[in-house]
Amino acid sequence: MRSVRYILIVFVCAWAVPCSFGQSEQVESSSIRVMQLRRDGNLRIRYPDALPSLLAFMNEHARVKFDQDPLFIQSLTDERLFENPILYINCDELPNFDFSVEENDALRQYLELGGFLYLDAGIKASFLGADLGHSYAAWEERPEVGEWFSRIFPEKPFIPLARNHEIFRTFYKGLPTNEDLQLEKEQKRLPETVLTFVEQEKWPQGTYSLVGIKINGRLACLASPICAMGWGRDEFGSWIPPISFRIRESADNFDETLKLASFAGNTFEVTREDGLQDEIFVMPGQRPLWVREPTGRWRIYKYYSGEEISNYAHSFYARLGTNIFLYALLN
Amino acid sequence: MKYFARPLWGLLAPLCHAESPDLPQANEPAEQNQSILLPPPRSNLEKTLDEAEKKLKSSQDGDRLGAAKLLGKYPNARGTYLLLEGLDDESALVRRASIVSLIEHFDSGQPISDRALTEKIFSKVGDPDVEVRREVTAMIPRLSIGLMRSGVERTLVNGRMVFRSVPANLREDLFKLAVDALLDVDSIVRQNMLKYHSNLRLPIFPDTLSVLLSDKDPGVLLVALDKVRLHPQDSTVFEKVELLASHRDLGIRTKVVSVVRQLGHSHPLYRGVLRKMMTDDSIEIAAQAAVEIARFGEKLSDEMVEKIEAFLLQSPALSGKVESIFYGLSSLGEDGNRIYKSLTSHASGKLRSRAWQRYISFTESWNAPQVWLPALTDRDEDVRSAILATLRGRLPELGEPEIRTLIDSRYADVRVFGAESLLSAQADAVEATFFDLLIDEDNLVRATTLRVLAKLRTQGWEKIHQQSLLDQEYAIQRAAMDGLLTNSQEGIAILRDYLSKNSSTKIAQVIRIELQRMRVPLP
Repeated sequence: MRSVRYILIVFVCAWAVPCSFGQSEQVESSSIRVMQLRRDGNLRIRYPDALPSLLAFMNEHARVKFDQDPLFIQSLTDERLFENPILYINCDELPNFDFSVEENDALRQYLELGGFLYLDAGIKASFLGADLGHSYAAWEERPEVGEWFSRIFPEKPFIPLARNHEIFRTFYKGLPTNEDLQLEKEQKRLPETVLTFVEQEKWPQGTYSLVGIKINGRLACLASPICAMGWGRDEFGSWIPPISFRIRESADNFDETLKLASFAGNTFEVTREDGLQDEIFVMPGQRPLWVREPTGRWRIYKYYSGEEISNYAHSFYARLGTNIFLYALLN
Repeated sequence: MKYFARPLWGLLAPLCHAESPDLPQANEPAEQNQSILLPPPRSNLEKTLDEAEKKLKSSQDGDRLGAAKLLGKYPNARGTYLLLEGLDDESALVRRASIVSLIEHFDSGQPISDRALTEKIFSKVGDPDVEVRREVTAMIPRLSIGLMRSGVERTLVNGRMVFRSVPANLREDLFKLAVDALLDVDSIVRQNMLKYHSNLRLPIFPDTLSVLLSDKDPGVLLVALDKVRLHPQDSTVFEKVELLASHRDLGIRTKVVSVVRQLGHSHPLYRGVLRKMMTDDSIEIAAQAAVEIARFGEKLSDEMVEKIEAFLLQSPALSGKVESIFYGLSSLGEDGNRIYKSLTSHASGKLRSRAWQRYISFTESWNAPQVWLPALTDRDEDVRSAILATLRGRLPELGEPEIRTLIDSRYADVRVFGAESLLSAQADAVEATFFDLLIDEDNLVRATTLRVLAKLRTQGWEKIHQQSLLDQEYAIQRAAMDGLLTNSQEGIAILRDYLSKNSSTKIAQVIRIELQRMRVPLP
């Protein structure tokens, strides 16, 4: 099955790019260039190793040929926009979401002509505030992104992607195994409670909270919680930087306990996959404490860090990133 | 769920008022006979901790587990003490929850630095549950502040009070646990211990290091390789490093190159490892090893140089390992320059730009336009910018063919550079080419040309600037004005004349300000 995918990807890499975007005669047809929008040059870079590492990861594992140097553009009116099929934006790197009419027109045209826009950190729960080191799997785009796109495609809202969407199976399927993580068979890859939550709720079958916009029947724009934090690798192949997990846990009588426990903070509502709202309890200066789910169940947030957690998270994000970029190429 | 909370609220209101100011008071007269949808009253901190303490002593595992999880949300001394009790629970689940909650206390600004308390936590490095051991070992940098605290203890000896210093060492029993943990059955524990052993002032003996250098887990091996510098001359350790030089994992072999490179300066024995790695199956590793050998001043064979060149040409981009090989090329002398030259046609823009920069700098090719002129046809603006930055200020006197090549470029940045280059061009080349630049489609090219002409004072330049003041583009007008301002006679006269005829344009306002500043009477 994997070999069929290799063939398909190699085939697409050879033809899809020149067909969709007539590149200039000087462009090397052998490598695909991913563009990244950087408004302030090098002033607000988040995870500088991320995208180049992911492109290298894909070259190594999926046998595609991406140029490992992203093409940085400062404006969406850059003429090079129309020479390359994939545009990546880390929304946390943008100083603001003020795009000129010309830029919005260019982006609309780009997406209508077959370009793909990936808005990393395009989903961000409000309670995270200015804290850039966290992700939270809300199921709607961040308000700034929604407002921006209402000016580009007023009639097209972001729609959550179903868990069975093909993007989650483009190349990798399911969650990382011990073999993927280079662990011995008997080695525990995650603490039990963490593994259960990850497999059943956080990333079931290797899926994640993604929302997107379809144009001409094609998924042309995709937004996700920040994934770039999970793509970086150093020269020895170790993942950087460390990542920790936020896990929802319960215990006997927690519904009563958490309902009555001392609390003097704020609550935030966050949209879930089913469209209902979770109520998150946050104390100022602390990470979220617990959550009241719409079913009436209360669960506590526990935080896990460590080598195994970080390796697992990185492996997941790199696999997801691979699926997203290859989906963008194949579709 | 509906809460008909008024009767209950009536009883608890005095206690809860501080944390629930929005809830109605018990003696409010309105709506006495109606049920109101209200959230349940929350208890205060003391009551919550009392309740957790009670549950922590429950015979039910579930109760104790819930209490241990909840206590993590209350980072205070009492919560910490209760969680420390939870570390001795018979249930592994409760112990795990307790240690995770203690970490939450650290994260929330409630560090534990008391020696006895940190020793209590660290003693769990011997816990039978692997998850507890993983968490404890990951906490070592945080615990070490308390664990390594020196002090003074007071004891009675034959009725006399004696003060004795307590050294900043790990307690004897904990020391033994720590040594054992270095060879724990779990690889994460081993890795953590190895990574943080210096926080505990825990020596790594050569025998232990040798065992760890044979570990099955790549994560442990990477950390163990970092520790080779502790016993570089130990023969067993050296043998293990030699073996790892042919490890199946590419990352491990890369790490070996990195470690051996450092050790090779003081321990020539390790250079032999590099020499062996030059025959590695992976061209990437072989090239890395070869470049490091060249850095030690050793001459490489032609075959090896070709291998390095082939590797770099195949590499997709300038990143990580490729970068260190790329910059190491300078130690190959002429061969290195030749490889830099061949890399100037690489597919990666970043690699091309760096290769051009290195090649032009090392061979002083700014004196040879036939070398760098083709580079300026590169499609990538970043590449062109890097080359132009290397050339600026270093060019020799250019002739008409070179200037013509620059101004015929399809890229505006190159044509701008062409305009700038008129400053160091032969006079006849300037005469022959400047007009083409003045009618360029790009504003910046035209503006730059005007500025250059003003500096060169070519024949009739004032007339050109006078005409340019009438251009529609502000950038052109501004360049013309700036040029004319440098000519105190004819230039100023042209500007005054312009003002008298065009007093309301945007540039006229700027001219007026500039002339006033120069104390020139306005028309």
